[in-house]
Amino acid sequence: MIPAPRPRARIRLRPTPGGVAGWLYLAWCAVFVAAPILVVCASALNGGRSMLFPPQDPTLDRFVEFFVTDEVWTRALRLSAIIAVSSAALATALAWPVAYGLWRGASRLSKALGAGLAMPFALPPIVFGVGLGFLWVFAGLIGTVEAAILSHAALHAALPLATISIGLQSVERAHLDAAATLGATERVIFRTIILPQTIPYTASGFFFALVLSFNEFIVTFFVSASAYSTVTLQIFNSLRNGFTPTMAVGAIAFILTSVLAFGLVARFGDLPRLMGADPARR
Amino acid sequence: MAELRIAGVTKSFGAGPPAVERIDLRFADGELTALLGPSGCGKTTLLRMIAGLETPSAGRIELGGADITALPAHRRRFGMVFQNFALFPHLSVAENVAYALSIAGVAKARRLARAEELLELVRLPGLGARRVGELSGGQRQRVAIARALAQEPDVFLLDEPMSALDAQLREEMQVELRLLQQKLGITTIVVTHDQREAMTMADQVVVMSKGRAEQVAPPQEVYRNPANAFVAGFIGKANMLPATAMGGAARLDCGTSLALSPPAAFRDGAELVLACRPEWMRLASGPGPNRLPARVAFVRDIGQVREIHAEADGRTLVCELPFSAPERPRLGETIHLEFPPDMLRAFPARDRAEVA
Amino acid sequence: MSTPPHAPAPAQARAQARAAAQQADRADPGAGAAGADLSAPRGRPGATGAPVDARPGAPSRGLRFVHAQYALALVVAGLCLSPFALVFAISLGEVEAGAAWNWGVSAANYARVFVGLDWPESASFVYMRKLGWSLAYAALGAVIAVAFAFPFAWAMTRRSRRAQTVWLVFLLSSLSLSEVFVVMGWDVLLSNRSGLPMAFRETGLTDWLKAVGWFDVLREIGLATPRNVRFKPSVFATVLTLSYLVFPYAVILLYPALSRLDPAMMEAARTMGARPFTVIRTVALPACRLPIAGAALLLFVYLLGAYVAVTVFADPSRQTLTITIYESVRGATLNAPFGAAQAMVLLVTAVACLGASLALAKRAERRS
Repeated sequence: MIPAPRPRARIRLRPTPGGVAGWLYLAWCAVFVAAPILVVCASALNGGRSMLFPPQDPTLDRFVEFFVTDEVWTRALRLSAIIAVSSAALATALAWPVAYGLWRGASRLSKALGAGLAMPFALPPIVFGVGLGFLWVFAGLIGTVEAAILSHAALHAALPLATISIGLQSVERAHLDAAATLGATERVIFRTIILPQTIPYTASGFFFALVLSFNEFIVTFFVSASAYSTVTLQIFNSLRNGFTPTMAVGAIAFILTSVLAFGLVARFGDLPRLMGADPARR
Repeated sequence: MAELRIAGVTKSFGAGPPAVERIDLRFADGELTALLGPSGCGKTTLLRMIAGLETPSAGRIELGGADITALPAHRRRFGMVFQNFALFPHLSVAENVAYALSIAGVAKARRLARAEELLELVRLPGLGARRVGELSGGQRQRVAIARALAQEPDVFLLDEPMSALDAQLREEMQVELRLLQQKLGITTIVVTHDQREAMTMADQVVVMSKGRAEQVAPPQEVYRNPANAFVAGFIGKANMLPATAMGGAARLDCGTSLALSPPAAFRDGAELVLACRPEWMRLASGPGPNRLPARVAFVRDIGQVREIHAEADGRTLVCELPFSAPERPRLGETIHLEFPPDMLRAFPARDRAEVA
Repeated sequence: MSTPPHAPAPAQARAQARAAAQQADRADPGAGAAGADLSAPRGRPGATGAPVDARPGAPSRGLRFVHAQYALALVVAGLCLSPFALVFAISLGEVEAGAAWNWGVSAANYARVFVGLDWPESASFVYMRKLGWSLAYAALGAVIAVAFAFPFAWAMTRRSRRAQTVWLVFLLSSLSLSEVFVVMGWDVLLSNRSGLPMAFRETGLTDWLKAVGWFDVLREIGLATPRNVRFKPSVFATVLTLSYLVFPYAVILLYPALSRLDPAMMEAARTMGARPFTVIRTVALPACRLPIAGAALLLFVYLLGAYVAVTVFADPSRQTLTITIYESVRGATLNAPFGAAQAMVLLVTAVACLGASLALAKRAERRS
């Protein structure tokens, strides 16, 4: 679980302060961050109905229950996946034209669009959730999955907006000029230069939105109006009614999804750059 | 044939002095023109206007007699090589070269064949499948040239094409590019700040400063007969001396009079700037006409050349002699620098400020 | 080598044709040149195809883009902004019998949030106290998280780019982990039947604490029962979970500033005799003062909205505004306008803090 950064021979550690002490501190924090997650994962192995740590009668039955047999969990998992994928796609689709408008020349309209799209993510989600609850009541969509998809897309559009904006900034103007002198119209430049060069950033934004939607709780809580349950809602309900080890399996599924998604982002994109590291320094 | 002409072209960005001011130029078919000047002189802006990447604030651009001022870059399709080559990192080398053909809808097999042909032309056969990131700087430049030529442009533009290469490669590529250009007989415009590069490649040099064309002439002419003090100082090295016109000759501040051939066409009393290149000066054995006594401050031998820095008339003059010259002057020794009358150039003193 | 690529072509004719076509023609060159024989002199594409103007910002295409932006503005307004507007509008309404409510323009709900129902006869600060707990938990959680995150981000940015990537994946994964999972994990760890209290008893730590007398201190601050340590419900567990929740965020927020610190600056300090920790204290920390303050404020705003951790870990008497917002809107009390008013109070607090952090960020930018 803890990806300890084993310094390989060819990677030179900078001779800057905090060598050994820094390493120890990193490891200590990693343990702290991983501890509750590991505890949850281990609890999934419990044979009995109660959540004990360390687990008793270790078994994998809970995994079967969560993914296959238990109707409540499989339905919740399916819903979570549908909402996450659709809302992430929608958020990315919303963010693209806004980011493109900001990049082409920040008119007042573009700036307002950017700010508007970023606002729900920046403010306490419970307020946005309460407001969305009212909105969907008026729109007659309260308790529908569509409402949850739209809500998550609005909540998380700020993420693809940020990554796509970073991607567009990394497109060199000289490439656009070069394409123009080679006969490309603006539309062709968009299709052949801008779009392919920003794919990693678009994908990163999509995955960020996907993972956060998968894990979202409070907004879903208000817009679902108890008409259905996603995995996070189901776990919250179980939190109140008493734990079952099955929910721990859900946690494992979520963690693996996150690691996989961010691993993909790191593999195909420049994660340090996305997180704001100096692009020039390697 | 297609002759490119620009007339009264001006470009201003917002307030402040224009980046390019009323420039008239003729680019003869098949010739290579170098736009030469210090950074910020407007040479790149001028090139971008020719490419169609910027719209002139005023003036006309004509190709073969037709006005193309308003034609956008993608309709002009002048091939252009950019400073850092601007190769598309998401495409392979062959796809980069064939880019213009692919958006023109040429069938894939045909355009790849054509790309290979062009890569052969720039001496990179068989590299089509490589990624751009796998190429060296010199190879990238060749790919950029091949890409710009793929569309058979009427005019070939290069913006500081050598600036991303190291010194040795630069020299080689200058020769190679010139040979290629002559072989293809394509009208070419190169922007550079390197006078050696301009001299190596150009049929015609346009020396630019502060948005204006200071001189338009063949390289040797620019070197031998600079049009003004700026050109004299920018192209090669030159000793500059303030002087006053007096009966066709020039009188220095220290009182020495230097004869000019042909005589200076200035009215008496007019303020002048005299320019003389270090290698045009001679070392005389004693006082005489057109000679100036000077105190040696520094001497260095650089390969074939001995360079003497000497102080006279309140400034340091540099004199270059062949290394075979008799003996090395000692520091502090007084020598006599001779300015051959036909090697002295006189300019009106409005240029003085630029010299200082 | 055999065929010169720039075959001399009737360029002049081409240029003239092009210039003539120029007014009528804004054609896509792709259409005309398709399949053109390249070895033969080829004319430029004529005026065919749909009108397209290529210069960035050219009128026709630019105009269409602006139209698209207006359409987009409607979507953004409807989806992202209208919920906030609705919360505000409803906060001015009045509740009816049952769960129903009417539109209105009354400040009564706000008055109730600030001074209670019976004001001016008597003032009650129940909700202000809840807001106080919201602020206290959020502030404590944010400050603790940033205090631990700064050295972490520092140590992380000193590693190779590759190692940084691995750490970032780790952090992002734990960051995106839902509040409910985090709470679940800590709940298991802190619960009295298993986890830490059990570990304390089994390992004899409890007995040791009793022996040295610290157990009584723990009892006084509510972290122990007569028999064993007890971590929940408690302020300790709440703040612990909250700072755990935002710790990865804090690292991610400090990461850009720290990764852009010029290593030469640190090396310069070391050549002048500064020990490693002195370098951090005298160079890195002052250079990152504004990012640190900005990060703390952002996390504070984020924690203002925390819900699950507070419901599970905080004693009912020490719960926050988020809990009562939920109760009013969806839970037991069912008074939507009142819930909306509380949400507005929370929102205004958050906006004020965000404004402050944006101002800090701007100042930091101007400095660098």
